[in-house]
Amino acid sequence: MNSPKQNAYAPNQPRDAASAEETLRLIARLPATEGLEERLKAGLKAAPKKGRVLAWADPSKSGGGWMRSTAVRAAAAAAIVCVVAGGGWSVYSRVQPAQMPKVIAMPQRVAAPGGFSSAGAMRTPQTLNGSVLAHPVIAMPKQDGDGKKLTAKTKKSRPAKPSPAGLRPMVTTAH
Amino acid sequence: MSASQTVFPGWMEIVDIAVHEETRQHAEEEALAALVDQYATMLYRVAYSVLRNPSDAEDAVQEAFLRVLRHRDTLGEIRDQRVWLIRIVWNIVLDRKRRAKSRPETDDVSELARVLPAKGLSAEQIASAAQHHAQVLSCVDQLPAREREVLMLSAFEELSSVEIASVLGVTESSVRSRLFRARNLMGELLNHSRSLR
Repeated sequence: MNSPKQNAYAPNQPRDAASAEETLRLIARLPATEGLEERLKAGLKAAPKKGRVLAWADPSKSGGGWMRSTAVRAAAAAAIVCVVAGGGWSVYSRVQPAQMPKVIAMPQRVAAPGGFSSAGAMRTPQTLNGSVLAHPVIAMPKQDGDGKKLTAKTKKSRPAKPSPAGLRPMVTTAH
Repeated sequence: MSASQTVFPGWMEIVDIAVHEETRQHAEEEALAALVDQYATMLYRVAYSVLRNPSDAEDAVQEAFLRVLRHRDTLGEIRDQRVWLIRIVWNIVLDRKRRAKSRPETDDVSELARVLPAKGLSAEQIASAAQHHAQVLSCVDQLPAREREVLMLSAFEELSSVEIASVLGVTESSVRSRLFRARNLMGELLNHSRSLR
């Protein structure tokens, strides 16, 4: 409820407004017309009911509907899979992949009639005009001062694997 | 489970659902009728305070209940049905008021001055009171919309400032500040109209 304190006037507010609000209060307190409720109820009854759609039995509401049956569910799932797979296959079978030609026919050179001709000269790209090596270079591995091979990683010396049964590896030296 | 239910489980289910649906519908209709009994008068007064015409106000209330009928499934989720209904009818009447701007306001004011209670007053006093009411209402109409709405709703003793805030979709502090401004403006407007006379 609206207590008088809630919307009380501030001390510096005009008193004229209070009398004006009294008019609004009078309006707010006016009684409703006779038989309003009955007319409203009659109007609501005459109102069109909500459109209803024929619905399947909801398995969550009823105890055990036909949708609960595993076989029916499996059949429905299989039917859906068949439809999807069939659709995919029909699309795939209609699409022909474009075949690449084995031989490419080059267009024949035709001399321009009446103009300058190239006199059979073929334009070759000048990408090979650089210095040409006379002898092929044999790739030799670079050696440092000690004569050891340089490798990307210097491997740590690993201890020799102990031979099975504690036997020493046989070393043969040529004299 | 009975034998018939075993034989025709699907059919029995459909029958069960139909019965359940009918019961539910009946319960919803009863709930709606209870809402009409409880809040129709209040909603009518809210509508009348804006539209100032009995038949328009009744139409607005009817429309509000038809909207409720459309959303009856969610009726149980409403926390404060009274404020919810007032909010619906408030939006309807504001919309109608906006659309019916073409009608002259003076008709409404004179009709209202006639309707307002004037018990124990002489004919001269009644005429004077009617003039005062008309003047007040014309001043109310000159207020900015925000201030006017708060002022009109605050005239309903059933509504607290929190509920007014809820109806208008604003905070309570803004309701209070708007009401303060509305009263100041009303004072100024009434002074101005008096000085013109």
